[in-house]
Amino acid sequence: MISITGLHKSFGSATVLRGIDLEISQGEVVSVLGSSGSGKSTLIRCINGLEKIDGGRVTVDGFDVSKPRELADARKRSGTVFQLFNLYPHMTAVQNIALAPVEVLNVPRKDAEAEARRLLQQVGLSERADAYPAQLSGGQRQRVGICRALAMKPSYLLLDEVTSALDPEMTAEVLSILANIAKQGTTMVFVTHEIEFARSISTRIAFLDKGQMIADLPTEDFFSDKGMAMPRVAQFLSKMRKD
Amino acid sequence: MPTILSWLNVKRSGGGWGTTPLKNAAAVDTDLLILLSETGFTIEARRLQFDLSILAKHIPFLLEGTWLTFKVCLISVIGSLVLGLLVAAARTSSSTFLNRLSAVYVDMFRNIPFIVQLFFFYFGLPEIGIYIDALSTGIIALSIAGGAFTSDVIRSGILAIEPGVIEAAQVSGLKRATIFRRIALPIALRTSVRPLGSVFINLILTSSVLSTITLNELTGSAKIVASQTFRPFEVYFVLLVAYAALTWSVSIVIGALHRHLNRNQAEGVA
Amino acid sequence: MRYGDFTPYDLVLLLQGLSVSLALFVSTTLIGLLVGTLWAVIRFYRLPVLAQLVAFIAELLKNSPVLVQLFLVFFGLPAFLKINVTPTEAAVITLSGNSAAFIYVIAVSAIESVGRDQLEAARVFGLNRWQILRRVIAPQAAAFAVGPLTGLLVNQLQVTSLISVIGVIDLTKVGNILNLRTLKPFVVWTIVGALYYLTAKLVAYAGARLETRLRAHTKWKGL
Repeated sequence: MISITGLHKSFGSATVLRGIDLEISQGEVVSVLGSSGSGKSTLIRCINGLEKIDGGRVTVDGFDVSKPRELADARKRSGTVFQLFNLYPHMTAVQNIALAPVEVLNVPRKDAEAEARRLLQQVGLSERADAYPAQLSGGQRQRVGICRALAMKPSYLLLDEVTSALDPEMTAEVLSILANIAKQGTTMVFVTHEIEFARSISTRIAFLDKGQMIADLPTEDFFSDKGMAMPRVAQFLSKMRKD
Repeated sequence: MPTILSWLNVKRSGGGWGTTPLKNAAAVDTDLLILLSETGFTIEARRLQFDLSILAKHIPFLLEGTWLTFKVCLISVIGSLVLGLLVAAARTSSSTFLNRLSAVYVDMFRNIPFIVQLFFFYFGLPEIGIYIDALSTGIIALSIAGGAFTSDVIRSGILAIEPGVIEAAQVSGLKRATIFRRIALPIALRTSVRPLGSVFINLILTSSVLSTITLNELTGSAKIVASQTFRPFEVYFVLLVAYAALTWSVSIVIGALHRHLNRNQAEGVA
Repeated sequence: MRYGDFTPYDLVLLLQGLSVSLALFVSTTLIGLLVGTLWAVIRFYRLPVLAQLVAFIAELLKNSPVLVQLFLVFFGLPAFLKINVTPTEAAVITLSGNSAAFIYVIAVSAIESVGRDQLEAARVFGLNRWQILRRVIAPQAAAFAVGPLTGLLVNQLQVTSLISVIGVIDLTKVGNILNLRTLKPFVVWTIVGALYYLTAKLVAYAGARLETRLRAHTKWKGL
C-alpha cells in the first residue's frame, strides 16, 4: 500500500503541495488529474523520493521514503516511467532494461537480458532490442521506458505524464500498452492529461487543484453528477474536453 | 654542403640597411663576403643557410628523446585521467568537504604556471626527504597538473548530463557509486572526448618544459644536438614541426575515437 | 645574518620580477591582439595565399610548445640571420606570436558567431565588406570573444614564466635565484606560485567584469 498523509512540499517560497492525503492499495489504478501546475508531477516525485518532502509522511509498503535507510526498500517496490523517457543514452534498449535487475536485484546478466527481450517482445519491440535510444522514435523510447520500470517487478507503477511528449499516433501506441498492463493487475498511479484514457482504465480518480486534493472518487462517480457537483472539477472537465 | 635555402643579408659598413650597386666583391669565407659598392662603402653580406642534412646523424639520438617524450606523456595521461576521475567524483559528490578540497586543487593547479609547479616538486621534494629522479618528478608534476584540467572537463561532462537520466537511475534503486560508474561516467566520457583530447595535446606540449629539470626528452635532446652542431635554427625548426606533426596526429586519433564512441548517438531511426 | 637567509631586499626582487612578467604579459597581449585580429581580417576578406598562410602559421604556433618557439627565436634566429636577439626581444617576439595565433582562432570563431542572415541584411542595405565588419560584426564579435579571451589571457600569463629559461629576469627567474641562494624551495616556490595565482585571479576578474559590461551594452543596444 502507498500511504500519503498530510504531504507538504514547497520550492522556495512557492508551495506546491498543501496537505495531501491519499492511499493506494494493491490492484488499484489511480489517475491523478488536474491542470498544469497543480502539483501532480511533484506528487509522483515525492512517492519515489526524487523530492525531499517538507511535511507529512509518505510510505510505500510501510517504508518511509523520507528516511534514507528505508528509501532503497521503498524504491524497490515502485517503478517510475518518465515524461521525457530518461533512457540511458549509452546503452541499448536491452541494456537499459537489464541494468537495474543485475545491479540491484543481483539477477544474473543472462537472465536479466532474456527477461528484457521478453518484455520488449510484449510491447512489440523485439526488432529494436539492440538499438540505442537515439535510434528509436519517441513512442518506441517510451515503450522501452515502461519495460525498464516493469523489469524490476514493481508492486506499483508510477507514470508521470508519460504521453505528454508524444504525438497522437505514438500516444495511442503507448496507451494501448498501458491498458494491457492495467488489465494484468499491476497497481498504477497515473498522472495524466488524457482524461478519456484515465476514465477507461482507472478504478479511482484523484483531482488536484492548487496543491490540494479536492476530489478522490471512484471513476464512475468522478465523471457523473457527483464530480460535476464540484465547480472546479466541472470547469476542468469542460475545459479539457473543449481542447 | 648542399644549400637548400640561401640569400643575402646586406649591411652597409656605414650603418643602415639597404641595397646598393656593387663594384667588386671579395669572399672572406664561405659564409661571409665583403663587397665594395660604387659609392665607396664596404658592404658585408652573409649567405644564409638552411641545411637539414647536418641533422641526419643525430636522428637516432633525437628518436631516443622522442621515445622518452612518448613514455612520459603516456604515463602522465593515464595519471591525469585517474586523478581527474577521482577529483571529478569528489567535485560532484554531496560531501561539502570533498567538494571544497577538490575545487581548491583544481583552482590552484590551473592558475599557477607549470614550470613553477615543476620547480616546487623538483627542488622541494628532496627537502622533505623524498629523493626521486627527474623522470618521476616530471611524470608526477605533469599528472597532477593534467589531472586538474582533466577533472574540470569530466566534471562539466557530468553536469551536462540530462538530470532526468540520473533520476531514472536513482529511482530504479542503483547505488550512488553504481550510478557514477555505470551511468554518469560513461556518458560524460563520451561527450568529453574532444575536450579531453585538447587537454592531452596540451600535456604533450607542456612536457617540453621537463627539459628544464635535466630530462632529455625530445626538447632536451634537441638542445644537446643544437649545441653540438651549432645549427640551432635547423634543429629547433625541425623540433617545432615534429611537435606539430605529433599533436596533429593525436588530434586525428581523437576525432576518430569521438566518432567511434558516439556512433550510436546520432538521431534518426536506423 | 647568514648569506642564505631571506632579506627585505628579496621582496623588492620579487616585485621587480613580477613587474617584468606583467610588462611582458601586457605588451605581448596588445601586440598579439593587433596581429591576431589582423590575421582574422585577412581571413574575413579571403585574401588568397595570405589567408592560407596565416591559418597555417597559427596552426603551427598553436600545436608546438612555446618553449621550442622561444628557443627557435632566441638561439635559432641569431644563428640563421646573423643578428643579435636579446632575451627580452626573443620573449616579446615569441609570446606575441603565440598569443596572436590563439587570438586569431578566437577572433575567427567570434566573427563566425554573427549570424549569416545579419550579413545578408547588411549587404541588402548596401554596406560594403569593411562597413559590415566595422558596424555589424565587430561589436557583436567583441562581446562573444571576451569570455574565451579571458581564459586565454589567464593561460598566456602563465606561459610568460617560460621566458625565465632564456634568461629574462621575470618572476620565475627571481624564484630560481632565491631558490639557489636560500635553499628553501618550498617557501620560495609557494610565494612565487601565490603571486602568479593572485595575478591570474585578477586577470580573470577583470575579464568577467568586462564581459558583463559588454553584454549589458549589447543587450541595451538591441538590434
